[in-house]
Amino acid sequence: MAFVIVSAPASVAGAANRVQSAKEDLAVGSRTRLGVVVGHVLLVVLTVFSVFPVYWLFATALRDPAHALDQTLLPWPLSLENFAYVWNTIPIGSMLLNTFAMSLILAVAQLFIAVLAAYGFAMWDFRGKKALMFLFVGSWLVPFQVTMIPNYVLVSQLGLLGTVGGVVVPQLAGAFAVLLMVQHMKAFPRELIEAAQLDGRSSWAILWTVVAPNMRPALAALGIMAFISAWNEYLWPALVMPTGDALVQVGVRSFLTAEGNNWGAVMAAAGLACVPVLLIYVFLQRYVVDAFVRSGLK
Amino acid sequence: MFVTVSASAPVAAEAVEPAPRPRRRFRPASLVPYLYVLPGLAFLVVWTYSPLVQTIGLSFVDWNLLPTSPKTFVGMDNYVNVVQLPELHTAILNTIVYILAFLVFSLVLPILIGLLARQVKGRARTIYQALIFVPFLITPVATSAVWRWLFADQGFFAAVMAHFGVAMPNVFRDPDLAIWGIIVIVGWQMLGFGVLVVAAGFAGISPEYGQAASLDGAGGRTILRRITLPLLSPTIVFLALMTILLSAQWTYPVIDLLTQGGPTNATTNIYYLLYQFGFQNFAAGTSSAAGVVFFIGFGLIALLFIELQDRLSFYDN
Repeated sequence: MAFVIVSAPASVAGAANRVQSAKEDLAVGSRTRLGVVVGHVLLVVLTVFSVFPVYWLFATALRDPAHALDQTLLPWPLSLENFAYVWNTIPIGSMLLNTFAMSLILAVAQLFIAVLAAYGFAMWDFRGKKALMFLFVGSWLVPFQVTMIPNYVLVSQLGLLGTVGGVVVPQLAGAFAVLLMVQHMKAFPRELIEAAQLDGRSSWAILWTVVAPNMRPALAALGIMAFISAWNEYLWPALVMPTGDALVQVGVRSFLTAEGNNWGAVMAAAGLACVPVLLIYVFLQRYVVDAFVRSGLK
Repeated sequence: MFVTVSASAPVAAEAVEPAPRPRRRFRPASLVPYLYVLPGLAFLVVWTYSPLVQTIGLSFVDWNLLPTSPKTFVGMDNYVNVVQLPELHTAILNTIVYILAFLVFSLVLPILIGLLARQVKGRARTIYQALIFVPFLITPVATSAVWRWLFADQGFFAAVMAHFGVAMPNVFRDPDLAIWGIIVIVGWQMLGFGVLVVAAGFAGISPEYGQAASLDGAGGRTILRRITLPLLSPTIVFLALMTILLSAQWTYPVIDLLTQGGPTNATTNIYYLLYQFGFQNFAAGTSSAAGVVFFIGFGLIALLFIELQDRLSFYDN
């Protein structure tokens, strides 16, 4: 399905931009000083709009509780007291660890299942392939909210209500990961596979010794995307375990309700819930943006 | 398709030339590909398609979600009831408002920004884009918390407005303002995503078309209208379809965390309504009937867009 994938390679890496920039300018008249200034002003305004709430989140969290309601742009004097309060009030450490483990498991499982399915779809022609592929594509059109009652009932029958297991199991496979992987696999150079076949290797061996190692960037991008999506998933955890301290989404939500307008503490807890994803973004920015922009789905 | 072609045609061809290399990579007619696809397929059937069928089944019964209580068959009653519910009309209307507003954030603004800022290049551009994308990654609980704080009566916006002598209304309690509060928050998250997707779309347009037109004497505006925007149309269609299909899902967490659909249903949307029917009123039948209606409605819209996409995709061949 063409509409799932943005056709152009993401310009985000910047390199492509630089190569193209000289030519591109010719198309719309040469680069003018006014144009550059307008562009910078616009982007600065946009950046402030985007970043300020995130900055404010952490600024409030780092403010000394005695100055909790100050609206000064710089939180001075700095204090970690809000974080200490959160740490002592809720088991935020174990919540973060649990959520991290859950997201990691989901990312690995989704990646594994997607690699297998995509390999099957991309390398063979078989009876019913189109119909099966349609099932994967079509699931994009089934909103989760439409199927949540039967899902809830099934999790309840499995005895998993209120457990992390109940949150994890229905999400172990993602149709979307499969579709993205199929796109990548189809682009895989056939010669490498044929050479391995001549060596007499089995399809399973070829998958793990030839295909997968050569697709590391795609796998990394997809895995990171799956991790972030799992971390930020809200609806299903809130439904399966509405109370409890096991996962960040639910635990921090209870804390926010309980603390009401204790803004410093609320911001500290909310800030901690974002830290892992923001750290991933800082270190693996290219993969994160590439995966999300290409896929266009959370 | 390949199976039938390669089974009949090569028989004659083989005598003439040495066996043509089949286009498939592995031999067919074995269970192997099915085994690879099976795990993903099993999850899909168990957690998506079988529930979809069950939802359709539930839409014809009256049931309160308790395993012990019976499901009574009521025919089309749920559908008849649900389409008459004023909540449903409000939710559909709100969803349309959300979609139109998010089209501005995910499509209109990104295109304007992409056009106006395209003379900013290189490292500066990369840094701007990286920062603009950050809101997309903030978890819903934190997003809701920080915006509630920004909008609070002791919060930053109130302080800024007090500076100009304006009193800060209680945004999320005001039936007229609440929906705009939600729109700003979710729009804030969508904007960076839209900007990056549109930038990728622009980067994929070969500058040669514009240069050629420019040599023929076309002005900047003509190039934009006749060349750039048509070539960008696959990206535009893609973003529009995503916004229409997913708006209700994007707003769901923020609605749940900040307003629970209120005040007096002013911020609810169609999916939040499904949740309320199912898990607050315990009316599984009503929720399912509404769900089926939405599923069919969005399915038709998606088909329309896929058709549109196919017609537009010839531009850059």
